[in-house]
Amino acid sequence: MNSLITDHLLSLMIAVPFLGIAVLTLLTDRKWVLSATLATTLINAALAIYLWNQFGLIETGLQFVERVEWMPTFGIEYAVGVDGISLLLVLLTTILPPLCVLASWESITSRLKAFMMLILLVEGAMMVVFTALDAFLFFMMWEVTMVPMYFMIVLWGGPNRIAAGLKYVLYSLAGSLLLLIGILALYLQAGTFNIQSLAEFSYSSNSEFWIFLALFLGFAVKLPMLPFHTWLPDAHSEAPTGGSVLLAGVLLKMGGYGLIRFCLPIFPEMAHSFAPAVLWLSVLGILYGGYMALAQTDLKRLVAYSSISHMGFVTLGIFSFNNEGIAGATLQMVTHGITTGAMFLIVGQLYDRTHSREIADYGGLQARMPRFVAVLSLFAVASFGLPTTSNFIGEFLILVGVSYQNFLFVVMAMGGIVLGAAYMLWMLQRVAFGQPRTEAAKNLTDLNFREMSTLVPLAIAVIAIGIYPGPLLESMNASVTYVVEQLAGF
Amino acid sequence: MEVSEIAMSIYALIPLLPLVAAFILAVCGKKLEGKGQLLVIPAVVFSFVVSLLAFFDVSANGAIQIQLYQFLYVGQLTIDLGFYLDQLTVLILLLVTGVSAIVQVYSSRYMVSDPRHSRFFALTALFTAAMTLLVMSSNLLVTFVFWELMGICSYLLISHYAERPSAARAATKVFLVNSVADVGLFVGVILTYLTFETLDIPEILTIAQSANDISTQSITLITLCLFCGAIGKSAQMPAHVWLPFAMEAPTPVSALIHAATMVNAGPFLLVRLSPILVLAPTTMVVITVVGATTALFAAVVSLTQTDIKRTLAYSTISQLGFMTMLCGVGAFVAAIFHLIAHGFFKAFLFLSTGNSLAATHRHLEQHGKASSVPAGGLFAGAAIISLLPALVFFSGSYRYLWLSQSSMAANIALWIVGLSTIFFTAIYLFSCITTIFQDSPTGASDSDLGVQPKLLSPRFVFLIGVVIAIMVTILITVWRWFADFLSPAVGGAQALPEMQLSSWLLLPLGVAIAGWVVAFLRFNHSSEGRTSIWKKRLYVFFLNKGYFDEIYDVFLVRPTVRFAGWMWRKIDYGIVDRLVISLGSSSIAIARRLGYIDTAIDNRVTSVGSGTNNVGHWLGRYIDPKAVSRAVEATGHVNGTNGRTGRNYEPHSMQHNLLIIVIWLVAALGFFYWIAG
Repeated sequence: MNSLITDHLLSLMIAVPFLGIAVLTLLTDRKWVLSATLATTLINAALAIYLWNQFGLIETGLQFVERVEWMPTFGIEYAVGVDGISLLLVLLTTILPPLCVLASWESITSRLKAFMMLILLVEGAMMVVFTALDAFLFFMMWEVTMVPMYFMIVLWGGPNRIAAGLKYVLYSLAGSLLLLIGILALYLQAGTFNIQSLAEFSYSSNSEFWIFLALFLGFAVKLPMLPFHTWLPDAHSEAPTGGSVLLAGVLLKMGGYGLIRFCLPIFPEMAHSFAPAVLWLSVLGILYGGYMALAQTDLKRLVAYSSISHMGFVTLGIFSFNNEGIAGATLQMVTHGITTGAMFLIVGQLYDRTHSREIADYGGLQARMPRFVAVLSLFAVASFGLPTTSNFIGEFLILVGVSYQNFLFVVMAMGGIVLGAAYMLWMLQRVAFGQPRTEAAKNLTDLNFREMSTLVPLAIAVIAIGIYPGPLLESMNASVTYVVEQLAGF
Repeated sequence: MEVSEIAMSIYALIPLLPLVAAFILAVCGKKLEGKGQLLVIPAVVFSFVVSLLAFFDVSANGAIQIQLYQFLYVGQLTIDLGFYLDQLTVLILLLVTGVSAIVQVYSSRYMVSDPRHSRFFALTALFTAAMTLLVMSSNLLVTFVFWELMGICSYLLISHYAERPSAARAATKVFLVNSVADVGLFVGVILTYLTFETLDIPEILTIAQSANDISTQSITLITLCLFCGAIGKSAQMPAHVWLPFAMEAPTPVSALIHAATMVNAGPFLLVRLSPILVLAPTTMVVITVVGATTALFAAVVSLTQTDIKRTLAYSTISQLGFMTMLCGVGAFVAAIFHLIAHGFFKAFLFLSTGNSLAATHRHLEQHGKASSVPAGGLFAGAAIISLLPALVFFSGSYRYLWLSQSSMAANIALWIVGLSTIFFTAIYLFSCITTIFQDSPTGASDSDLGVQPKLLSPRFVFLIGVVIAIMVTILITVWRWFADFLSPAVGGAQALPEMQLSSWLLLPLGVAIAGWVVAFLRFNHSSEGRTSIWKKRLYVFFLNKGYFDEIYDVFLVRPTVRFAGWMWRKIDYGIVDRLVISLGSSSIAIARRLGYIDTAIDNRVTSVGSGTNNVGHWLGRYIDPKAVSRAVEATGHVNGTNGRTGRNYEPHSMQHNLLIIVIWLVAALGFFYWIAG
């Protein structure tokens, strides 16, 4: 029994959310729907922790691999497995949904069941994306994640939701079209969808450039990198809290994961020749996102622009092609998921009370909401990478990684961190300290038990990773080394 | 071996105790509201006791190294969290935990009935823990981590009176000024790693001393970057602007910041890395110049300030400048000696200020009558501080070290700067104390009645003379022991300093006493009129603290925010977003064109569709319609309202639609099977 679970652990984790959806169709009562969804997501989180526990640290390759033929003619398989990098992202994917459910407990008033189904659908699809060993499976589920997000934005979003949803879908479709072209082009040459075999194949040199570009752009839109980012502030700020958390917390990471999983191992040479441009774009993105965030008057948009800045760090780390950089980028993806997810949860809790996201409508919350201000301060400082919080570790590793490439990038990226401190602390000053600026801000109630329970796990994670990142880094060390070895020699 | 390891790990308690206290208070502060000090005071006192143990251990057995756990391990990069206790560490530990304990005891009364009592004690405990960790850390990155943690503690403590907008603004400003300077430190840390391939401090120091293959240029760059951090934390020019703003914090916090934690981190770092610093003469010159400029500038500014807390802040800046200058000329032991003396003195001064301010407040409210707080101890402290630089800066071997390092002109310039700083230090310390203990908060007008007659008495002058004589003797004795004790921990080939009452020493001592006399005279005859326009201009310049805050605000802060706003509206919305939207609208136009083609295709598809429809009709007649319809109805029921639109879409019945889908599915599967086969 035990070995049965261990052998099919990933399939089980993929199946659980879909089973949850099936169960939800039978339920009508609001309480039951919520508890069932919460239970489903918690089961998956528990399974993910079990997976982490069972994960072997020494092995370089993939673990928990399951392969079943799906469309043998095209060599399409249902193939899943995890390595150290995807393991961390799987952990992130399973830990955020329960919090989304808790955050939507009261704030989603209409069509609750559908919303919960969408959360589970995203979780299930994300699980496949992060574990797929087959490019076709990967792409299919990549597409599937887009649809629930669109509906979340359009049906439960803020006042500007239709336009934001449309923008999101158009951007995503454009990105995934390029991705599809790239994957099909890979298939046409290599004759397989198996990601590992794709990496071993040598492609014709004139097509290499275009395939790499198509894949890279596909991932860059999702991440998002600098010129392709304008969908993000709209989508993030218009989505309901649960949607924003999933979007910022997990969905963006598909881009970074794709870069590590596809772009680097398949085209190491192209990656090297693209690297200078990507590094420059990343650093510009860090500074640009920081400046944008400094200008925002809307809390959610501020967090959204800060995401662009942080994703710049991710690409910076990935394209420095060394252990420090890639491990840092992976860690940065996880910790960004935690802190930004938490920031969206916090802003959502404030929004639930006053239905305003404007910074100018608040002020002096410290007096009425000490608990709220405590968690807000924690995640705000974590977000700009204060040492002893998780984000610092990732940023430090990325900066060490990129310092081997060009030291100028380190200095510029540090500018981004200072900007981060500036916009976060300025926001904190205007929201939490001073005197309340509106009547609404004077009579707010502090966070209740449910709301705290969404934030406390993340707070613990932020500090635990910040002072003892060893376990996380350890579990991906071998895989990162493997990725770097594939890149070496170009 | 094992016993000694256990004995060593007891030193982990030094930061751990305050840390645990802070954690408990943070988690269940509500339940312990008003009782925070009961937890924090024993914790800090006990860590002081452990520090004492460490002190004796180190003075008997030399430096200790303790490994705790592996913090990071990626690629070749390994960071171990561990402690390195040498002579320097234990001395600073004593200062930090000692002053912190006093401050905690003091605040248990000062902060009574404060609404955020638990928060205050949790943060001060964390602040203390961060400083001890910074001092004890054996790794440069870990030092940086706690360096920043201290920054955020100060941020949270300065914003303690959160409802005051000025406090919130001050907190943000303090943190941001520091974080700009810390960019330098962080870059320095990474550069150190790139150069030395390790961040372990003892290792770096041994490599720096032994290896000759590391170029002076790269060491100069590293040390300059690291010094940037010290500029920020120790409030050196041009980053000194934050320290006066830190005064928004409750008075005990100011005592902590000025005496025990935070600002002392800068000189500590310089002394800790002194073996590298001495390898980079350029850096040493920069440090000296920055320190000297700060010392002199801040001393003059503090003379002009009217706000007592601001006077104190600038006096601290000036003293820190002095310490930095001492580091710059290679007198590391002297810098630490000064740091410790200054730490205890400033703590004393701040706590007395808090008391006297509170006392005058009370008296003012009750009977509007004067208070008399004994000031003798303070005068003694002030005398020590103003004599200290004179004593250590120009004494013994340091003079020769100095001579050997600089040109004659630079030497003379430094002499002048040093002496004038001593002079001004003496003046402002004197006036600072007299201002505190003026009998009325209203100002100088009453000063003729209060302290002044006491000061004028011959007995007092005699007393001062005796005190100075005793102190010089004690200082020389203590200093000799101190220099012996600390010399293994600092860089540079330092000969045992000899203390001689030479002319070299007498001159600065004389200058210091002259400063006192000038201050005394100034205090008696507050000069009216007869001031030239230049004097006034200078006065206004220094009164406004050299306009540093204004310059930063106009040229740095506001343009940045405005630039960000402009970029958002013009670039992000105006260009990037509009580009995408125009792309969208042009694709819609193209789509319209394509639509014509599409309609044509659509017609073909529709005809295929209607063909299958007919087949469906035909099949429907033969396959049992009732079974199918029952199944379909069940599905339709489940689908409920969602199904309605689907049914309205086509005039055909549900069954027909289902059949069409089934036919297409079978066809598609067959097609795939055919290809696969």
